Amino acid sequence: MTNNRERNRALVRFILLPTIFLIVALLGGLRVSAESSAFVFIAPPLVTLVLALMLLALFARGGALQLSHWLSSENHPLTNVSHALTLGALFFASAQSFNSVLPERGLMRWMLSFFFLWTLWQNQFASFDPRRLLRSLAALFGTAFVIKHVLLAALYAPEGGWMKRAVGVLLEGVTLGTLDAPAFAPATGYISFFALALYVGGLVLLPPAPDDAEPASPPVEEIARTIERLPLAERESVREAILDSGREPEAVKRLAD
Amino acid sequence: MRHRVIQSVGIAWTCLLAFFVVLLYATEPQSVGDVKTQASVIAGTYEIDRARFDAARDLFLREQYAAARDEWGRADPARRDARTQFYTAYAFYRQGWGRVYNDDALFRQGLDAATLALSLSPAGTLAVEDPELKIRTAAELKAELEQGLERTIDDFNPLKVFRERK
Repeated sequence: MTNNRERNRALVRFILLPTIFLIVALLGGLRVSAESSAFVFIAPPLVTLVLALMLLALFARGGALQLSHWLSSENHPLTNVSHALTLGALFFASAQSFNSVLPERGLMRWMLSFFFLWTLWQNQFASFDPRRLLRSLAALFGTAFVIKHVLLAALYAPEGGWMKRAVGVLLEGVTLGTLDAPAFAPATGYISFFALALYVGGLVLLPPAPDDAEPASPPVEEIARTIERLPLAERESVREAILDSGREPEAVKRLAD
Repeated sequence: MRHRVIQSVGIAWTCLLAFFVVLLYATEPQSVGDVKTQASVIAGTYEIDRARFDAARDLFLREQYAAARDEWGRADPARRDARTQFYTAYAFYRQGWGRVYNDDALFRQGLDAATLALSLSPAGTLAVEDPELKIRTAAELKAELEQGLERTIDDFNPLKVFRERK
């Protein structure tokens, strides 16, 4: 039973996760031309690489990815190579997920890029737990997906979608040149949806630290600092609660001193 | 032990898949058929469609040069066959040749195809044994196309109208 569990976890970590992330890296830049139905491959632009780097930093800060456990001098060399490949695949999958939901050009591309940059930058200074971070990311990608593949796609549909007619009425006589974007076949939206769903699924499967690593616990200093920030009465309650449990960790001892 | 086997398989599989993804972005196939063609080129099993090649040659002999080129394009979608590229260049030459003046745009495309044919030939030389052709080597065809693109005083020679198309 335990053997099966370990084997399955190893299969997920060493085979399934890199496969998922590489498929996302492939599909994230894939579009289907509306005119010729030909595949169009869009390599990740520089801005998406920057966004992916910020996202990985956020994963590390939020505890969703404990890099010191994934890449460690205590790991077997093969394990480190395998983990490095998985993290590399995660980086490119993140870049291509941004690529998938960012419009190809025009004002909306810059607006959404700025929106992503701003949100990721703000989040670097917020306190997150992995679950909240994942929910926040799903919302972020979901919003961008709706803007690009539902609203903008309807606006630039060759046959003229509902959005085009609505904007035509609202902005009669105003040029939409600054909102210009190439028209892709509806299949592009489905590919993007599948890629994003796969990406979020991959993130759910991604363990913060590999199974064979020691479970990460917050450092004593961090716990002590958190307790120190509490009001005096609450600090006393924490101390009493810990003493009641029969153990007096180092942090509480330090507080008592 | 089994853990290490899974790890090794995982590393090999990830590298292979990553190579495939990079390859797709580098070659930019436009359809699933293109993906198959690229894969067969890499695997070394790529072959031109012989029936299409012969059909294109028939069109070429009937002076349907544009149609012949289209057919050769379908016979050799990856543009990896030196002989097909030689014929394509020849079709550009014959269509672009004029008694008074040549069509420079077609000659340039012919020159590109002739250069490609030469680069695809293993020894850098290509000879085609076809009794219907007057130019039998890619180097000769390339020189003829280059000469056609040059501007010289001979272009104003009225006797030029008596020259022969090869």
